[in-house]
Amino acid sequence: MRILRTLLSLGLVFGLALASSAQAAQFNWQQFKGTQLRVLLNKHPWQAGIEPHLKDFEALTGIKLIAEVYPEDQFRAKTLVELTSGASSIDVFMTMPAQEGLKYMRAGWYQPVDEFLKDSSLTAPDYNWNDFLDKTRDAMVAEGKLIGPPIQVENVALMYRKDVFQKYNVKVPTTLDELEAAAKALNGKPMTDDGQPGFGIVNRGKRAAATSMFAGMLHAMGGTWLTPNREPAINSEEAIKAIDMWGRLLRLYGPPGSENNHWYEASSIFSQGKAAMYTDANSLWPVIEDPQKSKVVGKVGYALFPRGPKGQSGSTVAVWGLGMPKTSKNQKAAWLFMQWATNKDQVFKVQSEKGVLGCRDSVWKDPKGKAKVPGDLAESLAQGSKVGTPLWNPPVVAVAEVRDAVGAAIVTSIQGGDVRAAANKAAADMKRIMAETEKK
Amino acid sequence: MGNEIRAQKIPAWVTPPRRGSAWSLFVEDHPVLVFTLPAVVVVFILMVFPVFYTVYMSLHSWFASSLTGPEFIGLQNFKRAFTQDERFRNAIWLTLYFTVLATALQLVLGVSLALLLNRPFRGKGFFRSIFLLPMVATPVAIALVWMMMYNPTLGVMNYLVGLVGLGPYTWVSDVHLVIPALAVVDTWEWTPLITLITLAGLATLPLEPYESALIDGATPAQMFWRITLPLLRPTIMVALLFRSIDCLKTFDIIYVMTAGGPGFASETLNVYTFQVGLFYFHIGYACSLLVILFALVLGVSLILIKVRRGSW
Repeated sequence: MRILRTLLSLGLVFGLALASSAQAAQFNWQQFKGTQLRVLLNKHPWQAGIEPHLKDFEALTGIKLIAEVYPEDQFRAKTLVELTSGASSIDVFMTMPAQEGLKYMRAGWYQPVDEFLKDSSLTAPDYNWNDFLDKTRDAMVAEGKLIGPPIQVENVALMYRKDVFQKYNVKVPTTLDELEAAAKALNGKPMTDDGQPGFGIVNRGKRAAATSMFAGMLHAMGGTWLTPNREPAINSEEAIKAIDMWGRLLRLYGPPGSENNHWYEASSIFSQGKAAMYTDANSLWPVIEDPQKSKVVGKVGYALFPRGPKGQSGSTVAVWGLGMPKTSKNQKAAWLFMQWATNKDQVFKVQSEKGVLGCRDSVWKDPKGKAKVPGDLAESLAQGSKVGTPLWNPPVVAVAEVRDAVGAAIVTSIQGGDVRAAANKAAADMKRIMAETEKK
Repeated sequence: MGNEIRAQKIPAWVTPPRRGSAWSLFVEDHPVLVFTLPAVVVVFILMVFPVFYTVYMSLHSWFASSLTGPEFIGLQNFKRAFTQDERFRNAIWLTLYFTVLATALQLVLGVSLALLLNRPFRGKGFFRSIFLLPMVATPVAIALVWMMMYNPTLGVMNYLVGLVGLGPYTWVSDVHLVIPALAVVDTWEWTPLITLITLAGLATLPLEPYESALIDGATPAQMFWRITLPLLRPTIMVALLFRSIDCLKTFDIIYVMTAGGPGFASETLNVYTFQVGLFYFHIGYACSLLVILFALVLGVSLILIKVRRGSW
């Protein structure tokens, strides 16, 4: 026992010595001086936050950056076309693994970065990969390989009217049962500025759009998209309960016409003061706190998505990250850029200047790092991103098609139809779609 | 002196030697070919080739994001559409439902409006222009505005129907109301086109039949049903042809307002094909759906043309 302890402490000392000597040896940022990198960016708060600092990277490394920015639809189309052609000159691009990760990885379009991250000649000693919130790291993995670092995170969260909950003396829900009770208690209660009644809850109900938020309820109930053998699990008892509940809440305590509500419609209703609760991406907070358009500025609390009957987390962890195509001829230099753009300094700058929801725990713990976002949002985001699920989308190749199939069941549920039959149909559709698109 | 001799040696019927590059000589010789070629090439590349390529691709199975290329599967895509694909059958039915409803509404309103505007009254030109405005607006903008009007919570439509004691409805979120609600938007936008065409038709009507009808003591209603309408038939058929072709392939307002929802309750063939092709990336299957849509539009057009010629 004593020997073990001695060995351990020896090892510790040795390890510390190694670490400090590595730190002492200055990391060579200039090793790819003169290289030119083509970086494809999506028009996004993170891009707006990092762009003014790109010249710092050029000064630090001597690498020249050619950054191209496109609106989201064109950005997606452009990356897809370039990668499909197999002759892309992109070195780094923004990517959303839950949307395209499996497809791109299977097609062999990503260059995994596991090796670069392990290589101490390529990764600065103070990069500290473990500082990234646990599940944001998981969310950047496809087929067991690391795509790149995450740059922004969002969770499905509970947004609620603090004033309304206080006025009617209702407890802020932390479980799904409490969520339904609160929706029921507050539905129809006056809650707008001029005393008009509002709805208990508002959520997305539009076919495919609803699924990414419904994913929170699905996982809180203990369900998920696929079994470990990649069979559809959307008609499991837990999943059926979740589909039923999502629809029931909207049907009984939500606005009429929820079936066509995307985030835009749902957040409008909420920010007009016409609903007591709203479960959607917490990255929507700038919309809700916008004094120009919102009537509920300063009245909204941000909490974790309620937990399930067995205490399961309902938070989802959706990340944007950086990836590099296999066709890049400057992979090591590209890794330097990915690393620099997500090191502590840059994450701190982008988050403290623009309120971008970054993925580093240390920045969220820094009072200056979270100064721009509402306090309870900062807290719930850091917590949710440690325990939530990265599976806000079904982990399949044909994401859009499967989302439509599941979304149809959600719509049926909102309309009060036969949920079990709809879930069975969704599962059958999923099975067919996966068979068609994932044959090897 | 020397010149004269040479002039005498050359026979008069020999044309002078032509000057210029080979290209300009070629242009001179083949003006028809050269000047139409650019247009022919453009039409071929942009219209003829895609049509045939679509037909060719419709016989293949190709999931665009996988690394495997298209695979020839014969008529399997069509078999699947007609025998296995519920969303396809639903889409065909909705396409026809929407088309019949929208064109019927537009036809009745458009022709009535034209008859109204054809009478002499003060400010006629002004009102004509006003009525034509919807046609000029951008469809996507129209769709967004109607979307706000149809909003069950914040929109004005429920207030309006409430004034006559109806509603509230959920409009485009209601499975049963969504197609009629969309047809109303299409009608609002395109009734002016029918009015315009009918007005042109009315301007060309001969006066003699009306004179003799007056002499015979016909009532205005009789004159309308027995003279105006039959004489207008060819014009109305043209308007109907335009509108039904357009309705069959309506995309913008449906996609912007409902994207085919709620569920699949307004997913017409065009919207479904768009999803299959550009969101699901089943390029081969999407092509076969397009071929079916093409056949549908062609079939309806042929029927209408036959009706117009009065051969039916």
